[in-house]
Amino acid sequence: MIDPLKDASDAALVLAIGRYREDALAEAYRRHAGAAFALARRLLAERQLAEEVLQEVFLRLWHHPDRFDPDRGTLRAYLLAQVHGRAVDLLRSETARRRREEREARMTAESAVDLEREVMDLTMAEGVREVMAGLPLDERRAIELAYFGGHSYRQVAVMLATPEGTIKSRIRSGLRRMRDGLVEAGIAAP
Amino acid sequence: MRRFGHAEVAELLGAYALDALEVDEARQVASHLADCPSCAAEVTQHREVAGLLAAGWLPAPDGVWEQIAEALEENPPPVPDVLALAPARRRRGVWARVATVAAVVAALVIGALGTRVFDDQRRLDDLAVALAGEELTRAANAAANHPDAVPVALRSADGSVEADAYLLPDGTGFLVSDTLAALDPAETYQLWAVVGTAKISLGVLGPDPGVSAFRVVGDVSALAITEEEAGGVVVSQRAPTVVGAVVPA
Repeated sequence: MIDPLKDASDAALVLAIGRYREDALAEAYRRHAGAAFALARRLLAERQLAEEVLQEVFLRLWHHPDRFDPDRGTLRAYLLAQVHGRAVDLLRSETARRRREEREARMTAESAVDLEREVMDLTMAEGVREVMAGLPLDERRAIELAYFGGHSYRQVAVMLATPEGTIKSRIRSGLRRMRDGLVEAGIAAP
Repeated sequence: MRRFGHAEVAELLGAYALDALEVDEARQVASHLADCPSCAAEVTQHREVAGLLAAGWLPAPDGVWEQIAEALEENPPPVPDVLALAPARRRRGVWARVATVAAVVAALVIGALGTRVFDDQRRLDDLAVALAGEELTRAANAAANHPDAVPVALRSADGSVEADAYLLPDGTGFLVSDTLAALDPAETYQLWAVVGTAKISLGVLGPDPGVSAFRVVGDVSALAITEEEAGGVVVSQRAPTVVGAVVPA
């Protein structure tokens, strides 16, 4: 093979998927399924649902590889965004689960659990942790509740007894601040 | 629900990237992003950051890949069927030269050719756009040097216009040309394969193609490029600009 899949870029992998190369999808799965499943499990209490999301996201990549634009981000971020969106859909579709998650999230916010522990097992964990540590606590809480709790910014506003406009601003400014820090630390591309 | 202005949408971009908007709000933002590159770029950046925040890894669960692979087998790749695309009378005339070229190549097998050629074509066109540039050029170079690649020299009648294609065993092909004159934006080059007695559209190349990727199914006896109106056609009525016989290695 002139271009072994294991050495191919993500963009080349997706091109191969577009040619209906199952081995290319398998390679993408090998690379990213672990991170995708971890995020799905973080959001969904039921392992079965997380597995279904994982399966659905990779099948979606198979059927619609053109929706991934390599000029607009990495395949990993693309897949994780897909996982997150689908998981949030499931969370919001189940009222009972929703209430339980909200209670758990409120406890999380009140005890000011941080995000650091979520990234300890990654190669970049230390750098990401340091950047996150520099984030104002208010911004970190808002991001955590929205992203890991799967809550809308309106719900986050209720949980934190803070105006909605303030929450959406904190989420945005927190993400921007994180990006600046990650770029400065050489973790994210400028 | 009233329409958001740019400033209001911009304030929501962080929450949008984290799937933290209500459904109606998300719909409005998504609509705005389609026409606002700067907001779309910001969302991309936010999602990259979110991807790092999500850092974590668990072993992929047992059995999920097997379920995915099984689903792929239940939905195999579309096989193009062009037999219904071109009335027989249209296959003569402007395509006579293509047919002549094809005739000297080999006995042809009229394949079973699929009904979803244009879905397949659109999928590949979209990919070609997404992977335009260095990635595509590198892949084309690799194909040109592939030991099992079948090179196809497409030439105009007077030899002044040239294009080279490389067909790989897996059905992938690459077309390279720097002598196809740029067309008016309202026109496009379109690539065709002769498979059996059928002419299959392999893709719309745009008005100024450099390197293009395509996929072809079946025993191809010749490739040809025509000039068409933008968007391409199902059946070409025009004489090919360049034609090349496919001679299996």
